[in-house]
Amino acid sequence: MADLKNKRIITAAVTGAWPKKENNPNVPLTPAEISEDVYACWKAGAAVAHLHMRDDNGNGTMDKNKFAETIKLLRTNHPDCDIVLNLTTSGDLYATDETRQIHLKELRPEMGSYDCGSMNWMNSGLFINSPAFLEELGKNMQEWGVKPEIEAFDPGMIANAAYYLKKGVLKAPLHFQFCMGCANGITGSMKNLVFMKETMESLCPGSTWSAFGVGKSAMEMLYGAVAMGGHVRVGMEDNVVYQKGVLADSNAQFVERAARVIREFGLEVATPDEAREILNLKK
Amino acid sequence: MSWGPCFMYYHCPECGKKFKSATDMIQDLGPKFGMCPVCGAEGVLDKEGARTPDDADYEEVD
Repeated sequence: MADLKNKRIITAAVTGAWPKKENNPNVPLTPAEISEDVYACWKAGAAVAHLHMRDDNGNGTMDKNKFAETIKLLRTNHPDCDIVLNLTTSGDLYATDETRQIHLKELRPEMGSYDCGSMNWMNSGLFINSPAFLEELGKNMQEWGVKPEIEAFDPGMIANAAYYLKKGVLKAPLHFQFCMGCANGITGSMKNLVFMKETMESLCPGSTWSAFGVGKSAMEMLYGAVAMGGHVRVGMEDNVVYQKGVLADSNAQFVERAARVIREFGLEVATPDEAREILNLKK
Repeated sequence: MSWGPCFMYYHCPECGKKFKSATDMIQDLGPKFGMCPVCGAEGVLDKEGARTPDDADYEEVD
């Protein structure tokens, strides 16, 4: 195995819960579209795919059958694709605690998202991750062999992860996704990214981390994460525009750019198996 | 889960210019946030939220 310290993991977040065809006609919404996009992203260098599902009207859903169909299509049509699958647990603000995790139990992906606290969402709704839900989800993920990707929208969520680590709800080594620039979360700036990293290192030493920025901070967070030893997430979940005023052609376009940045920096893009080693996953 | 940036969409009561800024620009733009990029007048808030289908009609100010 190559020296992993010079490897950077690219996560492709291809769909998310919000953007629709009206926002960008290239955003994948159906299981067939999502599975093909994941394959294209894998070929472009993504080692992890973060998946959300949509219902037949294009709205975010935690329907386990949509997840199952997407994975089946990916595995059937592209058996060469060994990408790590990371399924969301937060694809619908109105989902129950049960529907937010049943797909993890039945499909046993290698990773799942773990949003480590509650917040106001887009100044219009509530993104609730209650203590009872987080305790149950953390314990279940350990039992089911699903590695949590701890999404932290502000430093308090990192402190919350440290608390759950002490309680045994989470198990080290942790892996964080710093979600920068989301409304009601920490803004996307280098100063804030440094603070998030330092907070993580003091509270949860030995953790790995990745970051993304929405909107204007996307490029700053991409370059910043690569420079500071982190991994990166890109894709239409977070940005439907490739650059100001220009809609993205595809999710693979974002992955290709991230891979170029990593290589120009003198680093290497991690393969899925290298990502598994870095993230301490059991294949 | 993210929903992309959260925008505040404005029109200018003086010149009619449509413009928008993401809420995380409040820190960078300071008192200029919500001001018309053309004539400097205080904008009238039309709506806010994730990118709307008519997003391209509003010039992004950052």
